[in-house]
Amino acid sequence: MDTSIEANTIETDVLVIGGGLAGCMAGIKAREHGGKVTIAEKANTLSSGCAGTGIDHIWAYIPPVHEKMGYSIEDLMESHRNAIAHGFIDGELIDLVARDSYNRVLDLEKFGINFRYEDSKIPGGFRIVPQFHSVPTTFNFDGRDIKVKLTEEALRRGVTIINRVTMTDLLSTPDGRISGALGVGTRDGKVYLFKAKAVVLSTGRANRLCRNVTGVWGNHRVPVYETGDGRAMGFRSGVPIINMEFLSPANFSIGNYELNLGSPRNTVQPAGSVVDAKRKEIVPRTYFWDWEKLGKEKVDVQAVLKEQMTTRPQVRPDYPELHSQGKGPFYLDLTSGTEEEIRYIEWSISHEGKGLRFLDYLKNQERFDFRKDKLEWLPNSREMAGTASSGLLVNKDLETQIKGLFAAGDEVGGVPWAASPGALTMGWHAGEMAAKQALRQKDFLPVNEEKVESLETLCSNMFDSKDGLYWREIELAVQNIIDHYAGNVRSEEMLKRGIERLVDIKNSVSFRVENPHELGRSLEVISIMDNGEMVLRASLERRESRRVPFGFYRADFPESNDEDYFVFLAQRRKGEKVEFSKIDIKR
Amino acid sequence: MFRPVVFNEEVCNGCNTCVDICPMDILAPNPEKGKPPIVMYPEECWYGGGCWARCPLRDEGAIQIITPLPMRVSILRGDR
Amino acid sequence: MNSDSEVIPIETDVLVIGGGLAGCMAGIKASEYGVKVTIAEKANTLTSGCAGTGIDHTWAYIPPIHEKMGWCIEDLMEDHIQGIAHGFINKELLYLVASENYERVLDLEKFGVNFRFDDSKVPGKFRIVPQFHSVPSSFNFDGRPIKVKLTKEAERRGVNIINRVMITDLLSTDGHVSGALGVGTRDGKFYSFKSKAVVLCTGRVNRLSRIVSGVWGNHRLPVYETGDGRTMALRAGVPIINTEFFSPALFMIGNYEISFGVPRAEVQPAGSITGPNGEIIVPRTYFYDWENLGKEKWTSEVRRKWMAQRRADRPPYPEMYKQGKGPFYLDLTGGTEEEIKYAEWSVSNEGDGFRFLDYLKNQEKFDFRKDKIELLPNSREMAGTAASGLAVNKDLETELKGLFAAGDEVGGLPWQASSGAFTMGWHAGEMAAKQTREQKGFLPVGEEKLASLRELCADMLSSKEGLHWGEVELAVQNIVDYYAGDVRAEEMLKRGIERLDDIKGNISFRAENTHELVRCLEVRSVIDNAVMVMRTSLERKESREVPFKFYRADFPEQDDENWLSFLALKLEEGAFKFSKIPIK
Repeated sequence: MDTSIEANTIETDVLVIGGGLAGCMAGIKAREHGGKVTIAEKANTLSSGCAGTGIDHIWAYIPPVHEKMGYSIEDLMESHRNAIAHGFIDGELIDLVARDSYNRVLDLEKFGINFRYEDSKIPGGFRIVPQFHSVPTTFNFDGRDIKVKLTEEALRRGVTIINRVTMTDLLSTPDGRISGALGVGTRDGKVYLFKAKAVVLSTGRANRLCRNVTGVWGNHRVPVYETGDGRAMGFRSGVPIINMEFLSPANFSIGNYELNLGSPRNTVQPAGSVVDAKRKEIVPRTYFWDWEKLGKEKVDVQAVLKEQMTTRPQVRPDYPELHSQGKGPFYLDLTSGTEEEIRYIEWSISHEGKGLRFLDYLKNQERFDFRKDKLEWLPNSREMAGTASSGLLVNKDLETQIKGLFAAGDEVGGVPWAASPGALTMGWHAGEMAAKQALRQKDFLPVNEEKVESLETLCSNMFDSKDGLYWREIELAVQNIIDHYAGNVRSEEMLKRGIERLVDIKNSVSFRVENPHELGRSLEVISIMDNGEMVLRASLERRESRRVPFGFYRADFPESNDEDYFVFLAQRRKGEKVEFSKIDIKR
Repeated sequence: MFRPVVFNEEVCNGCNTCVDICPMDILAPNPEKGKPPIVMYPEECWYGGGCWARCPLRDEGAIQIITPLPMRVSILRGDR
Repeated sequence: MNSDSEVIPIETDVLVIGGGLAGCMAGIKASEYGVKVTIAEKANTLTSGCAGTGIDHTWAYIPPIHEKMGWCIEDLMEDHIQGIAHGFINKELLYLVASENYERVLDLEKFGVNFRFDDSKVPGKFRIVPQFHSVPSSFNFDGRPIKVKLTKEAERRGVNIINRVMITDLLSTDGHVSGALGVGTRDGKFYSFKSKAVVLCTGRVNRLSRIVSGVWGNHRLPVYETGDGRTMALRAGVPIINTEFFSPALFMIGNYEISFGVPRAEVQPAGSITGPNGEIIVPRTYFYDWENLGKEKWTSEVRRKWMAQRRADRPPYPEMYKQGKGPFYLDLTGGTEEEIKYAEWSVSNEGDGFRFLDYLKNQEKFDFRKDKIELLPNSREMAGTAASGLAVNKDLETELKGLFAAGDEVGGLPWQASSGAFTMGWHAGEMAAKQTREQKGFLPVGEEKLASLRELCADMLSSKEGLHWGEVELAVQNIVDYYAGDVRAEEMLKRGIERLDDIKGNISFRAENTHELVRCLEVRSVIDNAVMVMRTSLERKESREVPFKFYRADFPEQDDENWLSFLALKLEEGAFKFSKIPIK
């Protein structure tokens, strides 16, 4: 392809960047207000995002069930706030997620996703299990093809979906209002200039910051094409990004095939336990909730909350610590399950991300049977903590400090473990807010032509480069830096050195690409570098440790310091500098 | 080094569903119509299995995912 | 190559397997006895082995100097036994090395390697520095072309050097070695050697562990040294010792893994280690004042001080890193121009050093006078050069008659390094040659092993389902790193052995061509060596932090009463058997 890049210009009232769960919901809802809605998606919305290959769980406050238990929405929020986030959560946002999640489930049902089962003893015919909270609050459902259904619904409503465009820059006016965004077609190699009256940023998480444990590139639990593009874009536009320091130590899970089955309290309930080589239980199994009791007894809300807070750390032992003490090996053990329980789990896995393929592999290649065999529990690769812990700073209407720029889902910061309900509720709400914003605005605002030229130049340089490096080479060097200087134990001098080395790479190294595909990958690595730098800077700024729940540890400040640091740390770019501010945590 | 995705030329009809949905965009349509896609970037596979899961001829064996050895699970068999 | 590939039969009195420092010395010495000598080398002897791209140091007892110091050879031995090996050493072999390396240095000089420098104030005009012992005992010399010089000398003496042949099997008849089999790495032919004696010197075993930087091949030591000799010997029923000593990673110059270790190695005397704010972690040293030679006699107090200093010079960087200390820098900025030039000269002669200096200067615009290099985690290695390896007697013969070993192939000699390679190579060459003079004809070699090898290669080349060697290697390295990590324990080691056995039993290789075939054969060696690491680790029911950093969580204390022995692993009719060889 020749190196003169052509720009496509697209006008849209609402632009949604990232077509995952949050982005699709945003687009779907925004269309209810009329106006042109466009989703720009790096991959293909049919299979993109953390739910791209499926999802089997959504938590919610479920009135038909929870009211019968005598469990209120405040009880759920207290459980989430205390047991999961340990207070470190935006009260307004978790309120939004908790209140709206059930309604979004009903919407999904309208879109063709099944939540009801004939063999269920639960009101509504749902399948509900305990995962996140002190009572069962999580729907298990047929979520494997959720992205297909959402895509179809979006198209049905007249949303324009543009796949295979990686977005690189936000465009805004000097007085802080969004005017559009820029991206690059990863197949056609064209520059895409979007003029928009409102933008919803929903590009998900920031992965690929660390080396993959198995050495098989791409073998990661969460999608490796989610490279924190939205955070990088937001940061470059001066939007505050919060909680980037919380890049956690590696956890143990099913090894070496990294996928989303988490701890034994997630998808492999209730029969899943973790045992050691001598079959001694490290984490016990659980049992299905006794739904016969529903309505007959009120739940002792305080007691179950207390129980959750006690058992949660117990069922999440520090496996890396145990390994370093010579303990192990560890195994996931479902062999005590009844046939009914194992079938339930296999069904559940088959709907979770990568799960269908995983089951096929286990059965046909490994001749593995959960009824008889165990799977070893091994180190997985590192990740940013708790889904939407880190991300863009937004208000309760999901708007950032740039007017008209909204964020949703894992793009948003301050809502640890908001997970899929966060994506669905925030997506919906952001879509609505964006659509309303667009309606209030008559004309498109001017876009910064310089940025368009910059992007064109960047791409040309990559194509013409002789001395530039292949993106994999740069990524490897960056990951080594993040692993070494922002490891499990951080300290001032190490973080400073890491920043120095990362900035040196950013300033002195250039990319070389042969085609638009490699261009897309190179742009991802630029995001990774930006996110990596944010991790290092935020880590340096937080002069305390916060092991629970984030695993954040500073050797030079080994204690938690709630007085000074029970806040979200926000970093924003101001010219050449990066400024930090403390954001009070709203209850 | 790895061969994550392998097509059976006898079965695959070149519908390119897998090409459309691969989020890492590692597949390209075969220049010859009706033939299986080309795996352009095998080293970039993320083993999501979407290509396999959504293949209309999956049960007939059109597409196979090969899990690399370092990614294979470690099993403790029932008789141990 | 295919299943009809040609077999090249070679008859030789002495077969040397591996043409590194030890192998070339063995071949050169053996040639003095009027017997036919062949060196079979996987790569090219001009640049193969740990000294392939150079070496700048070799330690020895140097009579013209050490006698003047009042430091005798027993003092050197004691330094090495206490300060380096902490008692865990074969003293007979140590004596061989200590007492003969000076003679070997003089031989190397005859072969054209330069050891003398006009500006030297040392008797003999040598350049001698402290590295391994309580007084200076290491020659620094112009070692970059050493493999070229050795190759030329061997050829001059009529040694037959066969490059690009990887030896895969030893052949024996009635308890006596009878030859070996190999594969041509370029021509794809099978090489069938009949010989009366064999000297095995294939060096160390690398590639057991993941490369830290993720750049495959970026290792301090040659990655084509895959412990081929050990696996061959193991399969021939020869005991291998000390394979449990696979150490934790060290911090050294990062990310470019290169041979000059700690500041007491090539970057003396100006090299120090400093912290982020210039604070000194390991101080620099100073050149020995040769004006003082003979004025003060050595006493054992010198040893005591040296041993304490040695510990201080090796801070536990991985622990410090885990405590959030760091970054750490190699700092030569305190050096005089003379000192820095010396260090640069020294580095330029050490393995990889010449190219490294060019890279530093031209690509990085780096200057030791002004800049520092960060120390970072390097990749793991087997401990202490010839700590692990084949069990040999004082004549370097193994339990298999006629099979000798030399250099890093030999076990029981921690940190003997190049000195061991030169001396043991020479001695093994001599012993092997002498033995062949007593043997009339060649022993018959059976056909079965060749048939097996042929089948193995054919399977790999025609395989559809087999795996690429890199894929298998990665899986094996992950297993070694996880189950035989810094902290070991019974259940983990058992599981590791199980997983390795599972791979050995169920995985096949796929090679597209001869080059890949050889890489597959190397990975087979790596797997066998990994099994040895695990099994012997399981057998040693104690910890031995010093000097090997071997730690068992279930046996956290050192137990000299039961374990001050070499653990020998042997294959007997397909089963692994252990025995203890007490250290005298």
